[in-house]
This record gives sequence, C-alpha cells and structure tokens, in this order.
Amino acid sequence: MSLFFQSLVLGVLLGGLYALLAAGLTLYFGVMRVVMIAHSAFLILAAYLAWWFTSETGLDPLLSLVVTVPLFFVTGVLMQRLLISRLRPATLTMMSVLLTFSVALVIEGMLGFVFSGTQRRIRLPYSGDSLELFGANVAVVKLIAFGLAAVSLGALFLLLKKTQFGQALRATIQHPDAARLIGINTDRIAGYGFGLGLATAAIGGTALALDSTIYPSLHWHWIGPLMAIIVVGGLGSIPGAAIAAMLLGLGQSMLQIPLDTTWAQTIFYLALFATLMVRPQGFFGGRLAQRF
Amino acid sequence: MKVPMHHRLGVLALASCLTLTGCMSSSSGSDDEDGEGPINIGISLPLTGDFSEPGKGVQRGYEAWADYVNENGGLLGRQVELTILDDQSNADRVASDYEKLINQDGVDLVFGPFSTRLVVPAAQVAQDYGFLFVEPAGAAEEVFTQGFDNLFYAAPAVADDHYNYLADAIEALPEAERPKTAAYAAMDDPFAMGTAYGLKTRLEAMGVKTVADEVYPPNTTDFGSIAAKIADSEADVLVGGTQYQDAVNMIVALRQLGYQPKMAAFSTAPTNPEFPDAIGDETEGILSPTGYTPDADYPTNAEFVEFYTEANGTPPAEDEANAWTTGQVVAAAVEAVGCADPDPECQQQPVDWLRENEVETVVGPLSWDAEGRPEGAHLIQQYVDGEIRIVLPEEAAEAELILEKPAW
Repeated sequence: MSLFFQSLVLGVLLGGLYALLAAGLTLYFGVMRVVMIAHSAFLILAAYLAWWFTSETGLDPLLSLVVTVPLFFVTGVLMQRLLISRLRPATLTMMSVLLTFSVALVIEGMLGFVFSGTQRRIRLPYSGDSLELFGANVAVVKLIAFGLAAVSLGALFLLLKKTQFGQALRATIQHPDAARLIGINTDRIAGYGFGLGLATAAIGGTALALDSTIYPSLHWHWIGPLMAIIVVGGLGSIPGAAIAAMLLGLGQSMLQIPLDTTWAQTIFYLALFATLMVRPQGFFGGRLAQRF
Repeated sequence: MKVPMHHRLGVLALASCLTLTGCMSSSSGSDDEDGEGPINIGISLPLTGDFSEPGKGVQRGYEAWADYVNENGGLLGRQVELTILDDQSNADRVASDYEKLINQDGVDLVFGPFSTRLVVPAAQVAQDYGFLFVEPAGAAEEVFTQGFDNLFYAAPAVADDHYNYLADAIEALPEAERPKTAAYAAMDDPFAMGTAYGLKTRLEAMGVKTVADEVYPPNTTDFGSIAAKIADSEADVLVGGTQYQDAVNMIVALRQLGYQPKMAAFSTAPTNPEFPDAIGDETEGILSPTGYTPDADYPTNAEFVEFYTEANGTPPAEDEANAWTTGQVVAAAVEAVGCADPDPECQQQPVDWLRENEVETVVGPLSWDAEGRPEGAHLIQQYVDGEIRIVLPEEAAEAELILEKPAW
C-alpha cells in the first residue's frame, strides 16, 4: 500500500514537471503552427546555464532564472522574427520541423564544444532531502520543480486570460486573419508568443537541472514524450497539455508497479497512437489540429 | 533573402552527409618480407561516432605503447609502426577496414577495436586470415561464443566475473552476518546487465533472496519509480548494473526516499572522476569493480603510468590501460615465438603460445580459456574516507572493506 501511495506522489510530481516542460511546445504550435523540435534542446541549454551559474558562483541554481528567463524571451522573439517568419506560410509546419531540428543540432553541438560531453549534475545541499507526507517521501527538489511548474503555468494562464496581450495572443491562435482585420499586429504578437514559449523553457530547464544529470544529447530523450503530451492534450491548448502531462506522468509512475520501466514508458506512445486513431484533435480543448 | 526550396533541401542534405561521414585518414604501411624493417600493426578504431570517446582513449593507449616499445629497443629488435583507421563506430566499416589492413596494407599484426559490437565483425576477418586477434574491449559473452579460436580479451575479466572478489568476500562471512536480501537494477545493455547478473547468480547460490529486479532502457531519465520499488523491497544489498548518469540519478532518487542499504555496488559510475562531484559527501561505502587503477602495484604498471602521464599530462584510465595491455600481450607472445609476419603459420604460433602461458600486464597477470575469456576478476574499489580505494582482493587492498555502509 505504501508503494502505491509513494508512486502516486511521485507520479503527481513528475506530471507537474512534464506540464511545465510541454507548455512552451504547445504555445508555439498554437500561435504559429510551428513544430519546435528544438524546445527540449533549449531546456537542456537552460539546465546547463543553471549548472554553470551554480558551479561558478556557488549560489542556488534558481537564481539563474533572473538572467535566463529574459535572455530566453529575447532569444525567442529574435528566433521568430529572424528565422521562423521567413518560412513560407504554406509549408510552415513541415519546414519548421527541419529548421528547428537544425537549431537543436546547433545547440547540442555548442554545448558539447563548450562544456564537453561529460555528464554534469548540480550539487545541492538539499538534493537528497525529503518531507514526509502520510508515509510517502516527497523530495524537496521535486517539490520545488512542481512549485515552479504551478507558478509559471498559473502566471501563463492569467496572462492569456486577463491581459490585453493575452487576448491578442488568443485571438492570433484562434483566427490569425480575423485578428489582423481587427488591428492586431499578429507578427509582433507571434514573436512575443514565441519568446514566452522559450521563457517557459528557461524555467523548465532549471527545474529539470535540480534533479537530473545532464549531457548535451539528453534533449533527444525528452522531445518524444513532450510531443506525445501536447498531441494528447490538443495542440495549442495549455490547460490540455497540463492535464495530459499530469495523466501521463501518473500513468507512467503507476504502471511501473506491475510492469517494468520499458513498458511503463510506452504509455506515451500508446496514448499518442490512441489519440491519433480516435480523436486526432486531442482530448482536451484543442480545435486546431483538425485543420492540419 | 529568397532561396528556392530545393536549394535549401540540397544544402541540408549535403550538410547531413558531411556530418555523417566525417573524414577518414589512413596511411599505408610498408610491406616487409625479410623481417628487417619495422613491424607494421593494423588497427581500426571508432574515432568518430557513438564510441568516439572510448575509441580515442584506446588510440592514446596504443600510441603510447608503440612509443614506449620503440624507445626501448623495439619488438624483436624492430621498430613498431601503427596504422590506425577510423571505422566511425560502424560494424560494416570495421570489417572492411581489417580486410584492407591485412590484404592491401600487408600489416604484420593486428590489434582489436573498441567494444563488443565492433570486435565481433573484426575478429571474424582476422579469423578468416588466420591472424592473432587480441582485443582491448568486448567483455560481453557474445564475443566468446562465436567460435573464434584466435581471440584473446586483454583485460582481467568478462562482465559476469567483475564482482567475483566481492562475492567471495560475502561467501567468507559467517552465515549469520551475510545479507539476507538483495535488489538488482540494471540498464538494458549486455555489459551492464552482465556485471549485475553475474553477482546475482553468485548471491542467489549463497541463499541471498532477490526481492527486486528491475531492468530499464538506456534512455531512462526518471528513476523515481524504480527507486520506489527498490526502497519498498528494503533489500540489504543493492546491486546496480549501471553506466554513469543512471547510477547517479538512481542514488539521488533512493536517498530522497530514505532507503538505506547495508551494501551498495554499482558498475562503472563510481570510478568516474565526476561521481563524487555529483553525489557529494554521500559516496562513503559505495562499491565498484574496476579493471584498472593507476595505483595498482603490478610489475610494469608504475612504468606505464609514468610514461603515459609524461606524454599525455594525465594518468591513464581503463581504456588506455586495456590498449597498453593488448600491446603487452601481443609483444609477449611474439617475443616468445620469435616471429611477426602475416603468414598464417607464423600467426598461429603466438595463438598457441597464449593458450599455454600467463602474461604479466599492467592489469595483472592474464591467462585465457579456450574461447579467449580472461580467467581473472576485477579489483573491487570502495569509497573509504571520501576517496575511492581498492578493498578487494586482500593482497592488493589499499584500505579495509567497509561491510556496513554508512547512511547516504
């Protein structure tokens, strides 16, 4: 019974992390129909920056967010304006796969060149600490990552629902032509949307670095599950991605009890397969995928 | 700037081809029939691709060995020249490389490449031409079950035997003090699983009950669930068939769950210099088998460490040592039989000699069974007072084995 409850707790924490890591990915697609293969490479880049910050200064890696979040936002805006916007709208989705694939390779190569292929881990005084909750252990680092996910997804949700920029962004997601007709500068909004997506990658990468060993090619292990999450959640829907992430994280953790790790991991691909068979637009909210 | 789409695709395709193929360099060796000129040794190594890191380590070891031999009178009084090709970690490529080395370049001897996947096709070519084949890496069982009768693995032990000294030490304990239960977690990889399951077979034979047995794919990043199952089993002994990041992530995940084994052993990771940086002060008592350490006091090892360190600035690691060992094994056999040329009759003599004799190397004295398995075991190292030291076997020990691991 305690294993069941422990796995449940681990699953919820894992689901929260997945939700944070997938949020940007669904945002890019929603705003611009861009399949951003390099999202996980940016996550690893942020993780490396957090590691480098801590090993140089000895300060807590969370403080690196002060620099990396604005840096990633600006990088995202520039990347959209200088690279993505030059792709032809008719083939944007396909070509963005190639373009961002190359960006991912560049980031991976640069990380290997600068920091070498050696596997790194941030050494935290509290990395092994945990709190006890009804007999289950809740690791402090996982709790921090979950907190970061909750705060940033909450902030993102409020931004999209309550601000004028959010309204403009949602209008761009729902119908870019109509948004332009009512005077929204959709190019600029798309740039900011992309920047926002990369800003979540900065937070996600730092959360990831708290509790994992990082190396330049690690991003290939992440992009598959994250893509599965946003398709199951409905492309473009942030709440959908969050719910799908939570369900798949929990599913993975709970399936580990009767099955082994290899089979528990296949839940992502089974869910992806089932979604594409039964409901290609995704289960939660997304309407966009119907058009593609 | 507008560039037509097919141009962009063309450039992309070209760029990927360049990335994939890399560049290959080779130098052709000189043929020497009368046995007066240099002895040419042909080698193919994964200098690019998946195994490029260890491949380069093996290259450094081979080159250091050749320099050392040449500075000390050569082999059979002749200088040694290496011809090293890059097989790009590709199993087809490695076979054609050895064909080329033997057929076109007319090398006098060959040394093996790195890792099981490349050793098997390379050994097949050497077998076809009747060449002696000593290899520095390729510890998995499948290397020794292909029917090669010219192959020798130049390291102390095959994967399954890595923990033999530890198993012996546990067996030597009075029954009441032996651990009762054990948990195993191994990466789905022939080498990593071989180490963990080798010890599992021994422990089960002693009556240690297996209470958890997890196998995970190499791309596993989250070890929370695996750790939860191991912690739930409350095993006395934890055995990890690990590489690097999996061991580190697993240890942290286990600490987060408050699991405290009495004994914890992991392959590969603890001997990595990054390991104490990643784990911190909680490494105390962690065990690991190792095929090589610069501190081992085997004859010739001190000389090797000094020569290598002077040439490269850092002490040798296991890959370099195994390459050097390969050189030592071939040299010992060739010196003993007194010939080194491509003729199958001459190649058969050192093969026969190695079947009968023991060779002193930097990883200890080596002898082989009929399939080329070395008949030793790995040294067992343990973190004692914050440093990794040899604890088993007793005659090589630098520190005393800690049987009851402190809490991590």
